[in-house]
Amino acid sequence: MAASISGYTFSSVCYHSANSNSDHEGFLLGEVRHEETVSISDTQISSSELLQVVEVHNHEPCAQLFSFYDYAGQVNEESLNRILKDRRKNVIGWYRFRRNTQQQMSFREQIIHKQLTQLLGVPDLVFLLFSFISTANNSTHALEYVLFRPNRSRYNQRVTLSIPNLGNTSQQEYKVSSVPNTSLNYAKVIKEHGAEFFDKDGVMKDIRTIFQVYGALQDKVQSVCGEVEQSERVKEKVQEEVNKLKQQIVLRKRKTTDEERRLQEAQNPELRLTPEENTEPPETALLSRVAFHTPSTPERPGPSANPPAYSDLLSLQNDSLLPFSSSPTSAALLPRPQAVGSPGHPSPSPLGLGLSAGPNPAPSPGQEDDDEEEDDEDSSEYENLVSEVGQLPPVSAIVLLQGRPAALSPDGDASVRGSQT
Amino acid sequence: MAVSAVHLESDAFLVCMNHALSTEKEEVMGLCIGEVTTDSFFACFGVDTNRIVHIHSVIILRRSDKRKDRVEISPEQLSSAATESYRLAEMTGRPMRVVGWYHSHPHITVWPSHVDVRTQAMYQMMDQGFVGLIFSCFIEDKNTKTGRVLYTCFQSVQAQKGSEYERIEIPIHVIPHEAIGKVCLESAVELPRILCQEEQDTYRKIHSLTQLDPITKIHNGSVFTKNLCSQMSAVSGPLLQWLEDRLEQNKQNIIELQLEKERLTQELATM
Repeated sequence: MAASISGYTFSSVCYHSANSNSDHEGFLLGEVRHEETVSISDTQISSSELLQVVEVHNHEPCAQLFSFYDYAGQVNEESLNRILKDRRKNVIGWYRFRRNTQQQMSFREQIIHKQLTQLLGVPDLVFLLFSFISTANNSTHALEYVLFRPNRSRYNQRVTLSIPNLGNTSQQEYKVSSVPNTSLNYAKVIKEHGAEFFDKDGVMKDIRTIFQVYGALQDKVQSVCGEVEQSERVKEKVQEEVNKLKQQIVLRKRKTTDEERRLQEAQNPELRLTPEENTEPPETALLSRVAFHTPSTPERPGPSANPPAYSDLLSLQNDSLLPFSSSPTSAALLPRPQAVGSPGHPSPSPLGLGLSAGPNPAPSPGQEDDDEEEDDEDSSEYENLVSEVGQLPPVSAIVLLQGRPAALSPDGDASVRGSQT
Repeated sequence: MAVSAVHLESDAFLVCMNHALSTEKEEVMGLCIGEVTTDSFFACFGVDTNRIVHIHSVIILRRSDKRKDRVEISPEQLSSAATESYRLAEMTGRPMRVVGWYHSHPHITVWPSHVDVRTQAMYQMMDQGFVGLIFSCFIEDKNTKTGRVLYTCFQSVQAQKGSEYERIEIPIHVIPHEAIGKVCLESAVELPRILCQEEQDTYRKIHSLTQLDPITKIHNGSVFTKNLCSQMSAVSGPLLQWLEDRLEQNKQNIIELQLEKERLTQELATM
C-alpha cells in the first residue's frame, strides 16, 4: 500500500494544529486507487501486483475535540454527519495531532477507529498520527507523522506517506549545442519537416500554447485567492463579534451573581465568605466563585483554591454516562479542561476534569496561549495513561475508563477524587 | 543585543511549509518580514532588553544560484523585499522590515551547514537582530515508516578560537493566527509565478543561442513545455485545490458563526 498527500494539505493540517492549544483532529478526504503493475520474471511470463494507493485530497478539521465522540470513545453518528455532511462518502481516514506523545495509537483512538470503520463503511480506513516534540530551549521543533492502517494485521500497519512535489526542477535538460552533423540531407529534412513546430516568429507553437494554459491557471489561482482573502476577513469579523458577545454575557452573569451574593450577605450575615477566598489567583477565582454560587450546588464547608470536583457535581445529576446531556448552569462554568481540549458542551464524565485542577491553572476561554508545550503536558500524560490501560485484560471500554484509580490522576489530589467513577 | 526569541505567526508558518514542501530536489529560500520589539521593562533596570522578533509574513525568493547546497540572496532581491515590507507596514500600520531569512533542507538534517552559519553571520553584520530559520523536510525513517518535518531558528556568533563562526540556538514559537492574512495569501500564490519566471529566463537564454539546429530547438521547446507542465500539476493545481477547499471551509464557518452570533445575541437580550 502506498499513500500520498499534497504539500498544501499537509501544511494546512500543520497550520490548524499550530492554531490549537490542545490536541487537534479531523478527517482525511480522498480516494483509494488500485494500480496494477505488471512484471516479468524468469519463473513467470507476467505477474501482476495490485497496489493500493491512498490519495489524500484534503482534510476536514474538527473545530474542537470530542465533537463526534464522548469521553468513553463512543462515536455519535449524528454529530459525525453534522460535521461531514455530504463529504462523508469521501472520507478515507482521519488524523490526530498530539504534542509530546508516543507514535502509537491510543486506546481511545483504536476504539473510535473501529466504530468509524463500521459507520463509514470503509474497510481500510487509515489513521494519520502527528506528534510534535521540541527541544528544551524551544529552538528546534519536530513534527513526526505516521500513517496507520489499523484494520490490517498487526505486523503491517504502517504505511509510508509521500508528499508529491516538483522534484527535479533542474534546467540541465536544455541542450546548449546541437550534436555536430555535416550531413546535408539531415539538415534539409529536419528543417523542412521541423518547420511545422514553429510559427512565423520562429517561436515553438507548443510553447505559446502551454504558456496560455499556465496563464489561465494562474489567473484562476489569483481570483480564487482573492475570494479566500475576502472570506478570511469576513470570518475574522464575525468571530470577533461572537467573542465580544460571549464576553458581554460572562460579564453580565458575573454582575448578576455578584448582586445576588451581596443580597444574600445582606440578608444573612453569618454566611459571609472569609477574606481568603478573594485572594485566589484571578483565573480560578472568577470561575470558582461563579461555580460556587450557582443555585444547584450545595453549600460548601469552606473556601477552596481548586475548582469544585466533578465528583461533587455528579452527585447532583443522575449517574448515566449519556455523552451529550448537559447541565449548562453548573458544568459550563467550570474551568476548561487544560490541554485535553474544551468540548464546549459539558459532559458528566469524570475523566475530562481530572487534569484541570492540577498545578497549572486553566487558561481563561478565548485567551491565546503561545506557549504550546507547557499546556499539553497533561494531554500527553493522559493519552499515555489510556494506552497503558489498554493493556489490561479486556473489559468493556466504559467500565474500564470508569474504574481508573484516582491515583493516576495527575493533580495529585487523590483523596478528593476517590469517588471518581 | 542578542535576540531572545522569535514569534512566527502561524499563517507565515503555513507559507514557509508550503514553500519547503514544494520541492525535494533542491533548497528553497525566502525572507521573513516583521518587527522587533524590546521589553522596555527590563531596560529601566539596566538589564539587557528582551528582544523578540515577530515574523508576520514571508516572501518567497527566486534562487539566483541554483546549486543544490547553496542559498544566497542577491541585492536586488533584498531591495524588492524591502518594498514588500513597506507595503505590509502600510497595511498593518506598524513598522515592518526584513527581520530574517528562511530556507529548506530537503532530506538533510535541520542544523545549518558551515555555509549557512557564515551566510547568517554576514547578514548579522548589517543587522544584529537578523535571524535564520531552517525547515527540514522529506525525512523518513524507513524502519518505523515515520516521516519528519523539523524547523529551527539560529543566529551566528564568533567562535571562541579562530575566526570561524558557530551557531547559537534561538527559541522559536509559532503564534496562533486563526485567519490567514492577506499578505501571506499573496506570498503563497507567488510561488507558481516565480517558478514560471525562472523557467522563462532559462529558456530565453537558451533560445537566443543561434547555432542550434531545428531538432535541438524542438527538444528545448519540449523541455520548457514539460517543465511548465510539471509546475502546473505539482504546484498550481494543488494550490488551487487547497484554496477552493479553504474557501468552502470559510463559508461553512461563517454560516456557523452567524448562527452562534444570533443565538448569543438572543441570550444577551433575555438577560
